[in-house]
Amino acid sequence: MVVSILNGFAIGFLLFVLAVGLSLVFGMMDVLNLAHGALFLGGAYLGAALSGGWGGFLTALAVAAVAGALAGGVLSLMTEPLRNRTHLDQALLTLGVALVVAELLIMVFGDDPLSVDAPPGLDGSVTLLGAVYPSYRLVIIGIGAVLALVVWLVVERTRVGALVRATVADREMVATLGVDNRLVKVAVFAVGSALATAAGVLGGPIYGARPGLDAAVLILALVVVVIGGLGSVRGALVGALVIGQVDTFGRVLLPDLASFILFAALAIVLVVRPQGIFSGPVGAR
Amino acid sequence: MSELSRRRMLGLIGAAATVPALAACGSSLGGGSTAPTGAGGARAIKVGLVVPKSGVYAALGTDMQAGWELWLAQHGGKFGDVTVETVVADEGETPQTGQPAVQKVLQSDGVDVVVGIVNSSTALGVANLFTESKKLLIVTNAGAADVTGKARTPYMWRTSFANAQVSAAMGQHLAASGFKDGVFAIAPDYAAGSEVIAGFTKAFEAGGGKVVGTVKPAFGKTSDYQPFLTQIQQSGAKATFCFFSGAEAITFVKQYAQFGLAPAIPLYGSGFLTEGSVLKQQGAAAMGVQTTLHYSDQLDNPANKTFVEAYAKANNGASPSVFSMQTYDAANVLNRALQTSGGVDGDALSKALGGIGTVDDSPRGPWTFDGQNPRQNMYLRTVQDKGGTLVNAIVQDLGPQSQPA
Amino acid sequence: MTAAPQIEVPGGAAAAPPRVTRGRGLLVAVAVLVVLAAAPLFLAPFATTTLTRIVVFALFAVSLDLLVGVTGMPSLGHAGYFGAGAYAAGWVSINVTAEAPVPLLVGAVFGALAAALTGWVTVRSSGVFFLMLTLAIGETLQQVADSWESVTGGANGLAGIPATRVAGTALANPGYTYWYVLVAATLGVALVVLLARSPFGAALRGIRDNEPRMRALGYPTALYKYAVFVVAGSAAGAAGALLIAQQRLVTPADLGFMTASFALLAVIIGGAGSLWGACLGAALVIIVRDALGPSLDGHGTLVLGIAFVLVVYLLPRGAAGVRLFRRRT
Repeated sequence: MVVSILNGFAIGFLLFVLAVGLSLVFGMMDVLNLAHGALFLGGAYLGAALSGGWGGFLTALAVAAVAGALAGGVLSLMTEPLRNRTHLDQALLTLGVALVVAELLIMVFGDDPLSVDAPPGLDGSVTLLGAVYPSYRLVIIGIGAVLALVVWLVVERTRVGALVRATVADREMVATLGVDNRLVKVAVFAVGSALATAAGVLGGPIYGARPGLDAAVLILALVVVVIGGLGSVRGALVGALVIGQVDTFGRVLLPDLASFILFAALAIVLVVRPQGIFSGPVGAR
Repeated sequence: MSELSRRRMLGLIGAAATVPALAACGSSLGGGSTAPTGAGGARAIKVGLVVPKSGVYAALGTDMQAGWELWLAQHGGKFGDVTVETVVADEGETPQTGQPAVQKVLQSDGVDVVVGIVNSSTALGVANLFTESKKLLIVTNAGAADVTGKARTPYMWRTSFANAQVSAAMGQHLAASGFKDGVFAIAPDYAAGSEVIAGFTKAFEAGGGKVVGTVKPAFGKTSDYQPFLTQIQQSGAKATFCFFSGAEAITFVKQYAQFGLAPAIPLYGSGFLTEGSVLKQQGAAAMGVQTTLHYSDQLDNPANKTFVEAYAKANNGASPSVFSMQTYDAANVLNRALQTSGGVDGDALSKALGGIGTVDDSPRGPWTFDGQNPRQNMYLRTVQDKGGTLVNAIVQDLGPQSQPA
Repeated sequence: MTAAPQIEVPGGAAAAPPRVTRGRGLLVAVAVLVVLAAAPLFLAPFATTTLTRIVVFALFAVSLDLLVGVTGMPSLGHAGYFGAGAYAAGWVSINVTAEAPVPLLVGAVFGALAAALTGWVTVRSSGVFFLMLTLAIGETLQQVADSWESVTGGANGLAGIPATRVAGTALANPGYTYWYVLVAATLGVALVVLLARSPFGAALRGIRDNEPRMRALGYPTALYKYAVFVVAGSAAGAAGALLIAQQRLVTPADLGFMTASFALLAVIIGGAGSLWGACLGAALVIIVRDALGPSLDGHGTLVLGIAFVLVVYLLPRGAAGVRLFRRRT
């Protein structure tokens, strides 16, 4: 029981780090970045390539963050020319990019699934309340919580964060105030993508790296974003934690129906309250 | 308007370019099969090797091709006095790619025999192609019972295994080894997983054992096994029997150790759990895991020693896996069949295969065909460290096993 | 009825071509059909099989274009109805009869049924939300196919489907199978084209361009969207029935995200809204995936992904081209 709850949190925090970028970009610019899963996969492969030892792990994290930020910037620039076209076109563009990136990763790293070891010292287990739990996952809970706090602080308490929140609420208004919201968009895209790639590295010891992982995590991230609400950090956190618990307990209690539960949840929320549980007032969209 | 006509032009050009690209002389209306086989003069046979070269099973495909090519290299590229030409096609991961690949080698390349196939759905899906063209298929991996059971045809033979065959051996062994009180069974939720568990349960219960729980995680979609591991711990089982392969095998074995189940609830499995490239990735977590399979590269018989040595020499020191061995044996039986068949069509070869008797020079030990599937010895193996590398060491020879009815 | 292009018709030239172009279009269509019909006389069996797959996918892509291009409902889950029709037709062929046109009709009916059951939730959303919802529905349908082993064969899929029979004889020959598929698909595409050219189709295009205005004019837009969703599902189901006539096998992958993405790609490349464009797009996708893919080491997807990206950039310029999404006020 304890193990399941802890696991729900570990998966949930990992999902948060992955999904918060997607949520902010979607909320700000109505751009659905379908390449978000591919970013996670890139980070996972990076972690697998450099795995072994603390040096490797930390390097992988650093490289992933930088590479992710660059990729995010590039994606943002790629969607720029399409800003006068429909949001579907932008989403399709990212879908094409996702297909290309996924294939390139296979060409570089091969078809075999790769496993990643946790850094030494964290690859053991601890006994908590009579249950054995891998120490690495406890660390993920810690890291996730810290990152959540940092992101929340930035978005809620800084000027830059205020700009982000304002753009989510009403981007035309922000533009009339003289702020170039393209720069804000590039910045959020870059940071969000860096977080996604870092999530890939962090998730390596749990998920490994394999072809097809990008589609799986993309769908999970979409569920989180839709349920939590577009553009809301708090929503992404709550949504991620809830999905983490639902996924874990769903698979314990109803293994046959586990996959349906998530999609049913997504469908229900999309129909009843498409802007998500935590997003702003309806009129803004 | 100009845009429409521009696109229309592009379309017509594209369509026009397509036809010559697709065209090959001939007509599609005359009967099902194609080009005549064999060259003038000396006897020859064209074999289509359909194995995965992309997708999650690509590593198996590499091993299978290596096994096939090794046998041919050792025998001058001939079956007796019949020259062999091999055409390789990519089976891919699913029947969506596997079926076109088989169609291509049969119709476009005009092969006489097809060897290979990893995915059971592909094997079942192409059965009618062979019945209609009256050509032979030798399955060198796909383990579904129906291939040589319900959906059996004279044109499909198998040199590999049936899913339930491998797990039944473990079922018998665990029932006789003091685990009668309770074993938990876990395998992914797809046809192979279901067949493995069914085979295990039948044999285990026949030996007086009790299965205290079964669960089937979603196939190909589960990366986090914690909920199931918790279930195993709460069930009171004395041992766990599992079946996973590929990425899932790596993840499951590692997490089994990480969540601390290993010492108290020993892990047993169908051999694919620790076979091939996954063993290295599992690392220390796999130590002591016992599995049953009809082969290990550690087998101590003369045929295997030669096989392992020759394989290593031809493949940069790599060790053969069960997949390499199964395809190596396909060349072996095809060779034997050609000695007596007098023709390369499906009917002649099928009849000849029925009469080849015991294959006594196979790396897995002697075996025979029992209803188009091998009746072969199952070995109990355990993962040990041999000079820095993890191997599946042989613990015990569990005796011959056929495909369960 | 829409006027000749002196007035700025929403949707531009792709919406309602004037009479002269339509006559020319008909001639081109007939010419193409004649070439296609004669194909098996000149092509080797494998090429004919590939052409059959193209025709099947073309009907599927056209049904998706009805949703995406004509009505502005971008669906990433359409493969679910394609697969539903395929499974139904396959099951009937195995257990009841394989006599044409029974599997074809069963496929169409089941595609419509699946669309009717799942479509009512989708018509209340639009744009990117609709995209995600249909993605979820497609994944759910794939999951059903994967799990319902007793009926669908589970992950192995339905294998050993007997060849479709026409007037008692089984179509064992690639050429005869191709002709059957060609006739059925041509009928299907023709019906969809007629629908798109009818007043109903004009209303759909109106909904695509400005749904609130259509509602203000008194059209029950949700009902129209639901109706076209069911029709598109039916056409996709029919395409599924043709799939099993050719492939004799259906697996959960045929309902999945990749199949749906390829169909969407075919529609976009061909030019959403022009139904014959979807046929061209389908040809391109199948050729790259099946004919070129093996020689590219299975990396056909890379080429398609790059094509996707290029097409999105170079396709219709802005407002004059085809608009896929209703304008926000």
